Amino acid sequence: MILGENVRESIRSLWGAKQRSLLALIGIVIGIGSVIAMVTVGQIVENEAIRQFKEMGTDICIVRLSGITSGQKQNKSLNLDDIMAVPEHCSTIRVVAPYVSTYSTLTFAGVRKSCPALGVTEEFRNMFKVPLVAGRFISDLDRHANFCVLGSSKAEWLAEQGVNEPVGEKIVFGERMYTVIGVARAVPSGTFSPYEINEGIMLPISTVLRSPERPALSVFGARMIGHGVSVHASEQLQNYFNYTSKQKTRITSAEELVAQMDRQMRMFTLLLGAIGSISLIVGGVGVMNVMLVSVSERRGEIGIRRAVGAEQNDIQLQFLVESVILSFVGGIIGLGVGIGATAIICHFSGWEFFVSKIAAILGVGVSAAVGVFFGYYPARQAARMSPIDALRSA
Amino acid sequence: MFKLKDIHKAYTLGPMEVEILKGVDMDVKKGELLAILGSSGCGKSTLMNIIGFLDQPTSGRYVFDGKPAEGLTDNELSGIRNRKIGFVFQQFHLLPKLTALENVCLPLLYRGVPAGERAERGREVLSKVDMIDREHHRPGELSGGQQQRVAIARALCGSPSLILADEPTGALDTATGNEIMDIFLSLNDNEGVTIVVITHDPGLAIRCKRSVRMQDGKVVGQ
Ligand SMILES: Nc1ncnc2c1ncn2[C@@H]1O[C@H](COP(=O)(O)OP(=O)(O)OP(=O)(O)O)[C@@H](O)[C@H]1O
Ligand SMILES: [Mg+2]
Repeated sequence: MILGENVRESIRSLWGAKQRSLLALIGIVIGIGSVIAMVTVGQIVENEAIRQFKEMGTDICIVRLSGITSGQKQNKSLNLDDIMAVPEHCSTIRVVAPYVSTYSTLTFAGVRKSCPALGVTEEFRNMFKVPLVAGRFISDLDRHANFCVLGSSKAEWLAEQGVNEPVGEKIVFGERMYTVIGVARAVPSGTFSPYEINEGIMLPISTVLRSPERPALSVFGARMIGHGVSVHASEQLQNYFNYTSKQKTRITSAEELVAQMDRQMRMFTLLLGAIGSISLIVGGVGVMNVMLVSVSERRGEIGIRRAVGAEQNDIQLQFLVESVILSFVGGIIGLGVGIGATAIICHFSGWEFFVSKIAAILGVGVSAAVGVFFGYYPARQAARMSPIDALRSA
Repeated sequence: MFKLKDIHKAYTLGPMEVEILKGVDMDVKKGELLAILGSSGCGKSTLMNIIGFLDQPTSGRYVFDGKPAEGLTDNELSGIRNRKIGFVFQQFHLLPKLTALENVCLPLLYRGVPAGERAERGREVLSKVDMIDREHHRPGELSGGQQQRVAIARALCGSPSLILADEPTGALDTATGNEIMDIFLSLNDNEGVTIVVITHDPGLAIRCKRSVRMQDGKVVGQ
């Protein structure tokens, strides 16, 4: 009952000191707004980073020859047939997609450009979810054929050379001429997708392995039979390649990577939240300042209320309600501002925008908590004032 | 109603201790209308604040309603001010943002009385001081005399056993002051409310049943 009365009077008194309330409000709006924006952006970035795995499926993994660095790639390599036989021999692996990268010069109509290339199998497209804009992908029937699929940036490059429909065109890569059979759309770049998908061209793996550069086959993508089997899969692959070629392999599963990324991103979000919190503290100090001024300005009022029988608790509650309302209203507006700011950030960076429920609840809850925390001291001061001293200043 | 015995009150101002009340004795019965006279600075307000539980004496014995006033907690003091005492001040001391009615109801608010009941009682006392037609006005929209009527209504609202008025006519002209005094007299006559009025004006004091004079921190003439 007295609380309802307090709410009404608080609004009246905050309204009465519009200018001052507004300044404190701005502080809180900025504080809550930045916490909301920071945390939401953090979550959106996290979501963005993990999205590609979600699309590819978290049951995929990358298997690499261990102890290989790019400088010594000629020394060690895996055998293509051994890789293709993995699903037969390792019960945890469903399909495999070996790929091999190389580098040379792309020539079209006399214009040259350095370009990476990836030798792939038909399965590669499915494994790494490569969408096509035109034509078709490399097929397993294209053995040794001089066919290529253009990555998005090379398709753009060709467009700059005046070729808008590249399927069927002939290009020269290294010493050989290739026929363009398809064009891939850009895929989100990340740790799992080889960057050549966007930046280079894709050729049949058998063609690349026979090229004069003799690139080493040292990696393949694999899809496991389900989740939670990566440790088992790793063991099976170790044994298998140890048996076939005395080679050691290392496995990186999307599952583990996502978990690791989740942890990192949570830290990142926390960090952003902490940065936002600093401005929130500044906003809170603003509220405290306003409340302190309000208390000292209203000593007389406090005295009068005490004279008619208000207890210390009544006075404390009154000022606490006032500061909570102030920061709560700031919090609500800040929520809107924060969401708006996030939407703008997302718009300009092409991220998928969403409103984080946690951030919203956090923002509103935190703003009320700020009101209590920073309002407590001024309210306590008001309550502790001696009635007679307070009344004398009326 | 209350009894004061050898009440002292001293203020420490820096290194100096200034004694304002130097042994006040007073005995006020239920239903009395007492005027306290005295020159400015002799300690009348100080005494009234002690009687009204707003301030504590440095030493001496104060018995209110048969109970000693020592060792009460802050909440108990607030409770007594709320239920037993009504204050009327020279400067009215109304809250400027509240309407007349809201000001009047304030003691009941802190007693936890529901809003409907509060307003009902508030209107009742506002009619007693002829201010019912101004219930929605704010103090700033009222004349001094009208504000003092509202303040009296506020003092009455909680049905206290004692009303303490510190120079209630001090800020008003003689005619208005007399009207205010009429209200006190009729409250005392008709409803038997115990009232203590502090005043400079001997003309007003004469109208009270009893008057005492303070001088230099003591009560001199009973
Ligand atoms: N908080 C205080 N600290 C120090 N001295 C005080 C304090 N309050 C009052 N005094 C002093 O006590 C003396 C008596 O004050 P008080 O207000 O009781 O006088 P009064 O009789 O009501 O005078 P008036 O008729 O002018 O209202 C004054 O000299 C005043 O300066
Ligand atoms: Mg005085």
